[in-house]
Amino acid sequence: MAQNTFYLFARREWQLLFRNTSALVQPLCFFIIIALMFPLSLPAENELLTRIGGGVIWVSAVLATLLGLESMFRSDYHDGALEQWLISPRSLPLAMLGKVFAHWSCTGLLLALFAPLLCMTFRIPPDQIWVLFLGLMLGTPSLSLIGAIGAALTVTLHRGGVLLAIIILPLFIPILIFGAGMVTQQAIGGSTASQLYALAAILVLALTLSPFAIAAALRTTIN
Amino acid sequence: MNLINAFFSSIWGFLNRSFHRLGSPREFFKISNYATPIFGLLFTVLTGYGAYLGLFVAPADYQQGDSYRIIFVHVPSAWLSLFIYMVMATASAIGLIWRMKMAFVVAICSAPIGAAFTFLALVTGSLWGAPIWGTWWEWDARLTSELILLFVYWGIMAVYYAFDERQTAERAMALLAIVGVVIVPIIHYSVEWWSSLHQGATVFRDGGPAMPASMLTPLLLMALGFTFFYGYVLFLRARNMVLDQERKSRWVRELVKSSRATGEAQ
Repeated sequence: MAQNTFYLFARREWQLLFRNTSALVQPLCFFIIIALMFPLSLPAENELLTRIGGGVIWVSAVLATLLGLESMFRSDYHDGALEQWLISPRSLPLAMLGKVFAHWSCTGLLLALFAPLLCMTFRIPPDQIWVLFLGLMLGTPSLSLIGAIGAALTVTLHRGGVLLAIIILPLFIPILIFGAGMVTQQAIGGSTASQLYALAAILVLALTLSPFAIAAALRTTIN
Repeated sequence: MNLINAFFSSIWGFLNRSFHRLGSPREFFKISNYATPIFGLLFTVLTGYGAYLGLFVAPADYQQGDSYRIIFVHVPSAWLSLFIYMVMATASAIGLIWRMKMAFVVAICSAPIGAAFTFLALVTGSLWGAPIWGTWWEWDARLTSELILLFVYWGIMAVYYAFDERQTAERAMALLAIVGVVIVPIIHYSVEWWSSLHQGATVFRDGGPAMPASMLTPLLLMALGFTFFYGYVLFLRARNMVLDQERKSRWVRELVKSSRATGEAQ
């Protein structure tokens, strides 16, 4: 039943996302537009763009994840599905892990796969693209897992979006620092191992602890 | 063996009783009647004496001259910004696990005080940094993580005030406070993990404090005084909150009535 719960919730989320493709495409479009606004607003120097590209792409990924998070539980809350999960005998943390996994595979994973393309417009050298991709693959699942806690806390509020940003962005900052720091380290020829390990450690912590926090948050806010 | 058992069970019983007494708003209010002025007095004496020692008695630094004296405000506020966070998170956990009303009150009342100390640590730090480092602000690990702590405090307060229903609000806030605990070790070890402009641990380090007693004594006095100040303000805020939350209960009505009567008599 344990595996089943994870799979069931993941499959449900995938079905919902693929039937409503705008939810799938929106964060990705947002990601690309935000990232491409930086070259337009900065002096047109290729060297500068190469230097800041990694950070810009990381910031855009964080913001795009945030955009996707807001709707994570909203429709489930409005159609009553969320209440059914709370009273069902299935393990809520495991179910939420499945849901977040499916959600990540349609937002964070897509962002990570698209990031190398964006890197080319910033003229980032290939070795740094590789490092950036690795960092995003390790960092975006943590973003989704930690962000889901905030989404669960704010799901009942009418204007939860701004509040979600206020409570979750500070918790995203360490991931952002390590992820963008990796690219900078690679650019100056240093070792990226420490940042990589830190991102991996954060992911392990988020994978093991945040499902319980998400479940507790849902049980708190929904009476 | 039996003796040891009896000893521990009596201690546990005492802790349990006092815990439960503190858990009741009415008992808390009674205790705070005595505790608040004591905390206020200790704060005044310790901070007053500490400030006197720090500003007039302690010698000037051989490199930084007199400007180093801001340390007596900066370091205690930075310590307290973390200490208050840990108190808040612990109280939140107690509240969530044992459903204790007063624990939530302590947690919520601590948040603005903690945010204020974080802000004070940042401001005094940049005032100190301007003449000594030659910069108001530097994007370095210690400074950045302290700034994040300020944002986390704000987020926790924002969550509490976003919900209409008190129970939901305090539990949501408590949950976020516990999640945010991850930031505390990052701040604490930031100066060791990353080479940073900020100096490393000077007081609590292997091999004892790297500071003469004439400077260390006022620093510790100020830190202790600041802690009592936190306790004092916490009691004041918590008393207000308890009165507001229990305004419909009998003991509060009686309290209001009797204080009105004495007010009229005067």
